[in-house]
Amino acid sequence: MMRFEDCFRLLHERLKTELIITSAGNTSELWWEISRETERVFYLEASMSLASLFAAGIAYGNPEKTVVAFSGDGAFNMNPGMLFVERQLDLPNLKHFMVSNRCYGSTNELTMPFSHAIDYAGMARAAGLLRVYSIARLEELERQLDDIIKVAGHTFTVLHVEPLGRHAVSPPLDGPEVKFRFGRYLERNGGRPIFDTPLG
Amino acid sequence: MSTASEAIARQIADATAKCGITTIASLPDGWITDLITAYAQDNRFRHLAVNREESAIGFCSGAYLGGIGSMALMGASGLLTCIYALTKINYTYQIPILIGITLRGRPGDSAKFHQSNSLYLDSIIQSIDMPFIPIEKAEDIPKIGVAYAHSRTLSRPVVIGFTRELLRGQA
Repeated sequence: MMRFEDCFRLLHERLKTELIITSAGNTSELWWEISRETERVFYLEASMSLASLFAAGIAYGNPEKTVVAFSGDGAFNMNPGMLFVERQLDLPNLKHFMVSNRCYGSTNELTMPFSHAIDYAGMARAAGLLRVYSIARLEELERQLDDIIKVAGHTFTVLHVEPLGRHAVSPPLDGPEVKFRFGRYLERNGGRPIFDTPLG
Repeated sequence: MSTASEAIARQIADATAKCGITTIASLPDGWITDLITAYAQDNRFRHLAVNREESAIGFCSGAYLGGIGSMALMGASGLLTCIYALTKINYTYQIPILIGITLRGRPGDSAKFHQSNSLYLDSIIQSIDMPFIPIEKAEDIPKIGVAYAHSRTLSRPVVIGFTRELLRGQA
């Protein structure tokens, strides 16, 4: 089992050019705490199971960019059918990391009792996903990360982490600020026009 | 697909393409199966079948940031399952999205299990201040483009509602 912070520090050290989509709770809070980034990151704190499909829409429109989506096991349990849609899309530039801390990290780490019995990677394989990873040790993440990220093809990776064990703060950004910073970053870096599309 | 409903589906697809929409994410309702088929078979569009309506909201919202014009297509009941996603994602971040729904529960719809839509659909849409444009007659079909543009101007969701008579080619 990895320490949540160690896992995210490693990811932040290695993922320097990818677009990052975080979900509600700990993944947004920790990425903000570690990175303080406001450009290539969309902190989708109001996500409730939709972060990976939101990321899929971005990846679909930006095939030349690698898009990393973080979701939690609480979110995954709300909508495991996300895997079927991801499988159908099969976007080579979408990399979905599902962080399993077996609790609701954004709500005082209340235990999620059914999570202990679920084989998330097995579910993904059963859904027809071809590149599925299940990682519980930092050294393994370090070793596998290039394969997950740099080799083209949709991936689903379960990151087994310990609960954070403390309260972390949300990014101090209003929704429209997140949208404009992220969207303008995309527009400046080769993305399709978003805000400047003529409306006629 | 009858000739009349096929012709209407083609008109709707034409109006959708004309305003710059290239991607449709849908979950079926019995009234729109012909329309979904029309989108799926039309090479101007990428059609994505989703597992639940909220997933269409998530995907289309991301597609907006990918510079892709899209529409989420679903039944009226499906829209009601999306209130959280719409208010949190699209209202919090001010992300436009066009949503096409069936106007289930209107007088003439004999399905008793859709009558809750007759009672509450309009008031729920109004309660979150979501602009709603009915598409009731063939002459209304160009309003799809108006609704899409309005969503982008407003930076929030806009709903268009298709009647059964229109979708059957009877209006």
